[in-house]
Amino acid sequence: MSFERILFYLFAAILVFAALRVISSRNPVHSALFLVLAFFTSSALWILLEAEFLAITLVLVYVGAVMVLFLFVVMMLDINFAPLREGFTRYLPLGAVVALVIVAEIVLVLLRGFDTLSGGAPAPKPADYSNTRAIGEVLYTDYLLPFEIASVILLVAIIAAIALTLRKRPGTRHQDPGKQVQVRKSDRLRIVEMKAEPRAGRAES
Amino acid sequence: MLDNYLPILVFIAIGIAFGVGPIFAGFILGPHRPDAEKLSPYECGFEAFEDSRMAFDVRYYLVAILFILFDLEIAFLFPWAVVLDQLGWFGFWAMVVFLGILVIGFIYEWKKGALEWE
Repeated sequence: MSFERILFYLFAAILVFAALRVISSRNPVHSALFLVLAFFTSSALWILLEAEFLAITLVLVYVGAVMVLFLFVVMMLDINFAPLREGFTRYLPLGAVVALVIVAEIVLVLLRGFDTLSGGAPAPKPADYSNTRAIGEVLYTDYLLPFEIASVILLVAIIAAIALTLRKRPGTRHQDPGKQVQVRKSDRLRIVEMKAEPRAGRAES
Repeated sequence: MLDNYLPILVFIAIGIAFGVGPIFAGFILGPHRPDAEKLSPYECGFEAFEDSRMAFDVRYYLVAILFILFDLEIAFLFPWAVVLDQLGWFGFWAMVVFLGILVIGFIYEWKKGALEWE
């Protein structure tokens, strides 16, 4: 058994373990951290597939950004998770049916995929092969329309996030540094001209 | 190509060994005197008042999701920067259109006050 294959089974075992802990852990924060581990190991699997750019993007985007959002959401909800676990046995048959359907779909896809892959594994790439370059060569030319559509989807997501979560608090006090800098003497200070008062005698000796 | 990643694998293995090794050694070599008090919640001499979990403000969510969106935008820039010498002006304008659409979103969020923290 080659070294790569040993690594594959090692990473796959860690991935399956982490994925199981994601759904079985009692503390939702632990679940989120096990999801981080799952993302890391799947990115290691993608590197084994020589998809290095996607692997590093997975770490950058999912571990770096999406998991931070997940942790925010998990902490923001402030619900007691124990009541959510009630009825586990009641929903188990339905969940099992859904899982079976998903497994059947994956098996169908993989069986067809293995037929077309009868030529065996592709030859390993040379050491100076740049996966990023190969993606870039097709992404901005052949797949230009999906690329531009991706930007539109991101725009929709920006607007949707702002529309859903932007809250204005009327009562909050905050400083505007721009206004603070722009203030003039005449805005704050008023000099009143008046005659000097004569001294009305000594109050105390 | 995978040979390039062998040093990284070695780094990961040594890093895990450095992190896990001392904990494991302390677990094996250290004295074991279990006590219920050692596991009890402790907060400056009195029992913890409440659960450590608390609700975050929803504005953190907005900041996080805006960060994800622009992080994804950056992810699209990396392969573009690598192959820009081959793509020429066509690739350049493709990215200008992409960034232009996202700049619309950026102006929108700026004008809407989503970047302000009251």
